[in-house]
Amino acid sequence: MADSKNKSGIWKSLKEYYQDPVVLKNKTNEFMDGVTDDFDPDELSKVSRRKFLALMTASAAFTATACTDYHDKGEVIAYNDRPEGVIPGKPNYYASTCDGCAVGCGVLVKTREGRPIKLDGNPDHPVNKGKLCTKGQAGILELYDPDRLTDPLRDRRKVSWNDVDAYMVEAFAKYASEGKEIAFVTGENNSPAFGDVIAEFAKKYPTVKVYNHAAFSEKNRRSAWKKVYGSGKYPAIKWADADVIVSLDADLLGNEGDMLEFTREFAKRRDAVNGADFNRFYVVEGGMTLTGANADYRIRVNPQYHFELALLVLNQVAMNLGVTLPSNLAYRKSVTDFELAHNIKSDKVARLITDLLKNRGKSIFYVGRDKSEDLHMVANYLNEILGNSALYNFKCAHTDYSTEDISVLVSNINRGAVGAVLHVDVNPVYNYSGNTGYEEALAKVPTKVSFTLNRNETSEKCNFVLPVHHYLEAWGDIHSRENIYTLRQPVINPIFNTRQSEAAILQWADNSTGYNQDKFHKFLQNSFKKNVYAKAGTTLNFKKYWFNALHDGIVMLPANETVASINVEALGSVKTPKTNEGFTLQVRESYFVGDGKFANNGWLQETPHPVSKVTWDNYAAIAPATAAALGVENNDLIDVSADGNSISLPVMIQPGTAENTILTEAGYGRTIVGEVGLDVGFDVYKFGSEKLYSNVDVKKGSGTYDLVSTQEHHSLDDESVKDFHRIRGIIQDGTVEEYKKDPKFLKHHEHDIFSITDSVEYKGVKWAMAIDLNKCTSCSACVTSCNVENNIPVVGKDQVSRGREMSWMRIDRYYSGSPEEPVVSNQPMLCQHCDNAPCENVCPVNATNHSPDGLNQMAYNRCVGTRYCANNCPYKVRRFNFYNFRDHFADAYYQNDLTYLASNPEVTVRSRGVMEKCTFCIQKIMDAREVAIRENRDLKGDDVVTACQQACPSEAIVFGDSNDPESTVSKYREHDLGYHVLDLLNVRPNVTYIAKLRNTHSEDA
Amino acid sequence: MSAVDYSQELSVVEGKPSLRSIDDVIIKPLESKPDKKFYIALAVTVSMLGIGAISLALSFYYGTGLWGNNNPVGWGLPIVNFVFWVGIGHAGTLISAILFLFRQKWRTGIARFAEGMTIFAVITALIFPAIHIGRPWLPLYLLPYPNQHSLWPNFISPLLWDVFAVSTYFTVSLIFWYVGLIPDFATLRDKTTNKIKKLIYSVFSMGWRHSNRHWQHYEMVYLILAGFATPLVLSVHTIVSYDFAVSIMPGWHTTIFPPYFVAGAVFSGFAMVQNVLIFIRKIFNFEHIITLNTLEKMNKIIILTGSLVGYAYAMEFFIAWYSGVQPEQFAFMNRLFGPYAWAYWIMVSCNVIFPQLFWFKKIRRHIPAMFIIGVLVNVGMWFERFVITVTSLSRDFLPSSWAYYKPTLTDAGILIGSFGLFFTLLLLFTKTLPVVSIAEVKAVNDDAQPSHGGH
Repeated sequence: MADSKNKSGIWKSLKEYYQDPVVLKNKTNEFMDGVTDDFDPDELSKVSRRKFLALMTASAAFTATACTDYHDKGEVIAYNDRPEGVIPGKPNYYASTCDGCAVGCGVLVKTREGRPIKLDGNPDHPVNKGKLCTKGQAGILELYDPDRLTDPLRDRRKVSWNDVDAYMVEAFAKYASEGKEIAFVTGENNSPAFGDVIAEFAKKYPTVKVYNHAAFSEKNRRSAWKKVYGSGKYPAIKWADADVIVSLDADLLGNEGDMLEFTREFAKRRDAVNGADFNRFYVVEGGMTLTGANADYRIRVNPQYHFELALLVLNQVAMNLGVTLPSNLAYRKSVTDFELAHNIKSDKVARLITDLLKNRGKSIFYVGRDKSEDLHMVANYLNEILGNSALYNFKCAHTDYSTEDISVLVSNINRGAVGAVLHVDVNPVYNYSGNTGYEEALAKVPTKVSFTLNRNETSEKCNFVLPVHHYLEAWGDIHSRENIYTLRQPVINPIFNTRQSEAAILQWADNSTGYNQDKFHKFLQNSFKKNVYAKAGTTLNFKKYWFNALHDGIVMLPANETVASINVEALGSVKTPKTNEGFTLQVRESYFVGDGKFANNGWLQETPHPVSKVTWDNYAAIAPATAAALGVENNDLIDVSADGNSISLPVMIQPGTAENTILTEAGYGRTIVGEVGLDVGFDVYKFGSEKLYSNVDVKKGSGTYDLVSTQEHHSLDDESVKDFHRIRGIIQDGTVEEYKKDPKFLKHHEHDIFSITDSVEYKGVKWAMAIDLNKCTSCSACVTSCNVENNIPVVGKDQVSRGREMSWMRIDRYYSGSPEEPVVSNQPMLCQHCDNAPCENVCPVNATNHSPDGLNQMAYNRCVGTRYCANNCPYKVRRFNFYNFRDHFADAYYQNDLTYLASNPEVTVRSRGVMEKCTFCIQKIMDAREVAIRENRDLKGDDVVTACQQACPSEAIVFGDSNDPESTVSKYREHDLGYHVLDLLNVRPNVTYIAKLRNTHSEDA
Repeated sequence: MSAVDYSQELSVVEGKPSLRSIDDVIIKPLESKPDKKFYIALAVTVSMLGIGAISLALSFYYGTGLWGNNNPVGWGLPIVNFVFWVGIGHAGTLISAILFLFRQKWRTGIARFAEGMTIFAVITALIFPAIHIGRPWLPLYLLPYPNQHSLWPNFISPLLWDVFAVSTYFTVSLIFWYVGLIPDFATLRDKTTNKIKKLIYSVFSMGWRHSNRHWQHYEMVYLILAGFATPLVLSVHTIVSYDFAVSIMPGWHTTIFPPYFVAGAVFSGFAMVQNVLIFIRKIFNFEHIITLNTLEKMNKIIILTGSLVGYAYAMEFFIAWYSGVQPEQFAFMNRLFGPYAWAYWIMVSCNVIFPQLFWFKKIRRHIPAMFIIGVLVNVGMWFERFVITVTSLSRDFLPSSWAYYKPTLTDAGILIGSFGLFFTLLLLFTKTLPVVSIAEVKAVNDDAQPSHGGH
């Protein structure tokens, strides 16, 4: 019976087996009595199982998120106390003045949440009119340079500013009482307030003296002008009114003088689309420069004979006009003899003379700044007899701020008359590394001070190294032209324990207790009151006037048009220099690292040379024939000896260089500098401080040195690749004459291209760009602007050598013609945003695709990096992140909390393994769209200005809506000279190029 | 060398071995312990594999920047290697599927091994698309899977077709190979005395009992799979060639690429099979199964495909000239005389000139000579891919962006590693599976089938 009841037949105890009721009852309850008494469901937490799980999941997720530090790059602090006028996410602009060179261009500083991120030109400034050169724009990186000095140093040890002050006050008082000189060495400093500071200082320490030092300056032009016209205030030139411009070795479009002003005015006369009457541009030079590359006629003459050529022109002109020349200026050789002697083809010198004579009063004969004072005087005289003084603008003449030359200082030191030398942002030890004896002299001075941003060769020899504000942290003023006064204002709090030099000097002058950051600000206001406000004749009160001036960044001063008259007698002192057989060595300032000042700026080091496209180096540029004669190839080292100094330089065979001429650029080979500029290139200051050496000894050296460039050097006489840019329709060009005769002369060979598929219709705005090759000079301002705007990394020399430079905008250079007389064509190249973009259909993951407004887009997050798109891009404008370049370059030099501040927050910083390319500044387009939506209107093409367009000094770049037939860009697209690169591929690019016209004589076409 | 009488059908297996001896000779490598030579060979290939692994690890850590790739040349050695290995992977399925459909009995001795090579070559090849991308941790983006962004891959990109083509080819080849192995697994199961091996073989033989019904099903499945694999042999390299042909680069944008790539693939695949088999038949005493006649037939295919490739080279030039498109014309002149002319001439001499020596019967049947030519063919075919990929990219439309590509040590390391992987797998294969199909060889033994021989 029991068996039948216990069906399972499983029993745990005999009681269970015998069906004990207690056991059975217990079996029905899971728990024994009393066990669950404490368990009251109502007293439990109300959290349901579902909720509990949700909470657990969420907290697990939060924990997991908290553990990752991928995006954890520091704290995010809310703007609880928002400064007035700052809207998070919106940029603020402040006017200031660039301190890159003596021109003192007005800048607009773009700041985001209190940090400067981009420099553009101030549109109100009459010299640069909203534009800024490469060096000026790259200045932003110097503010955030990790190698900046953070504290004052005495004998390389950190000291406090108070200690410095105490020492200086005591030392200066001693020198003043001993009658020993306190010498300030400044660059080309045309700041009135600085002058006032020195005057203030002189009240207490009367032995103060200021010396001028600049490795490259307009010194000779100024002094020649002074001799001939009696004043150092040489005029500006109305370039746009000149029909013929002759540049005698002046790199006007490159880095000489007021490059932005000249480029703009020059380009005005090259504006084919708007029917400009082309000027004619002659360039006489020995080495190939950016300016020479843009000439209609380039006359290749060894620089030793430039003086002779000037005399020849002067004599021919004088003979024609019946002017009697002073006997020391007589030149007997005929034009033909000169041309024969220098192997000048197609009678170019004769043409030059004829053109000058034909365009009297409308031409300019302009001499390069590095030429001798005598040559400048000859040119002044030549312009005078041609009546070209009509083009002088005296109202806007350059201010004369010249002080004693540094060579005087050396002799004063050697006399033992100098107690202290204070270098204000200059580096003469490097600039005078040749045999000028500056370094030896400096060693004798007891107190040596260097005001500087970074360590340099001079600061290394000084016992006090005082870190200064970057100009974006500082106050200041510049009086660059007679009628132009500009202000500089700080746009960010000083990042480090620095002072601006003026403030430190003032502190020593008044020796007040407690330094106040505001000190120079107040002083500047007073100086401004005295120098500007008092003369302005305004009815505004000072405060208002001051704030207006600060807002504009510029004050136009009343200036009177004092026309100077020439003193011909002064020319009596002109002597014809001797010429020598043998090599000539010419030293020019580097296009991008300047006189060496910008050596620690990676953006500038990596900007390709405008002609040779070499980056991260200087070299000896020689003619192909000279290379053959020396038996050297590219990258071979040659030993160059000039004035007893010998330097080994790598060879760069540069078509267009005059024979037996070596052109090299200074500014490289820095030995004490930040990590970027260290040992980049060769220090050619070691030759001495001259710019031209004759009788140079050149020998083939031993070994080679790798120069890297962003463009391969194809031999010009290699028939298999010659003139491809013309054959393939990459560059289209002609002469002004041809164009005038038949405006459609380029269109005759055009094919009708049809597609078998339907094209996409774009409604609304469709973005397009046009680039006028007539105006583009390849100055590279667009390249830097793009780099800054779009957070483009520096990759370094080794990566450039592997062809991995990252710039989205590049300027291609093509040669045609002979290696002796090459014709150079430049072409800015960027993503063409093709309608039928070949990159788009090959991307396996759809990372690159087309937007409804005609943009070729990149989705970085989606990109896996197959590089197929880059392969299939016929323009090769796509750039691949082979490394995390910020990390890879120079041991992550630019990967630090400070340099990150320079990044544009609107543009993604791309990581390793991702493809990137020009976006047509999509962030700016979106910004404009947002404004249009807010203002409840349609977005117009003109609302957007791309970074490259904004920077272009010649306004060669036009951007806008190609669907709008009224827009400028449509006008360019439809123009007879407009063409698309590689039209035949039918990829339908959206960048139109305007064919280049050369204003040569018809028979030279 | 004795004269061969081509008027009579040649015996596929020489010497009429007994069925048992066929079993024994093929199974011997599996049942015997590996000897010293095997370990030495394995040590070499594993070291090569190690070099590749280190190079890859470095590339993953630092980035693709360790390779020679630059701005015009986005694809370098990894893609060259990919195409090369996919090409090697062609012979196997061609031999086992297409020759099977054509009832080429001589294929039986070499089919298994060639199929194995196909699998290993495709495995080796498949590594490259995954590693060559800039962000190798994201290859999933290439697969169509539903996701919250509703993002799909770009179905018009040839690179995507590639992913499908090669993975399909791999899958089908693997199944085909496995199906062919089932009867042999059964034989092995029956032969082995080792319990673990027996278990493994039992599982893989899927209860095969050599019954008549089994054979009927087997033959049908094998036939269907062969039919299925045949178009794949042609399609996979066709699609690989699309990677180039669909682009607009001069030198890539060519309609001849699909047949040219397939011919080239068969060419290199046969050369590789021939090379390796020369060793296998010697080491494992398979000379009577993989006969000299078989090798000679392979050499004939090499000369055929080599000539096809040569024809394609010539045709490329003709079309470039005939098109009248200057960049196209230049791309080919540049191969001849440009900076990569050395690579081009290596390619032409190895692929077009040396294989022509096979017109001579003596050379065709001379083992050292055919071995050397086989090696040269593979060198040439590797250079063919190099010439196509690199030369075209290094000098394309805009002369301003031309640049010379130079592979780095890391590139070389990865290439060595790929050979290491391939040969390591091959070595392990010889010791784990029958490298010749036991069942099929028995079926083509003299007198195995009713015939009219002698009547």
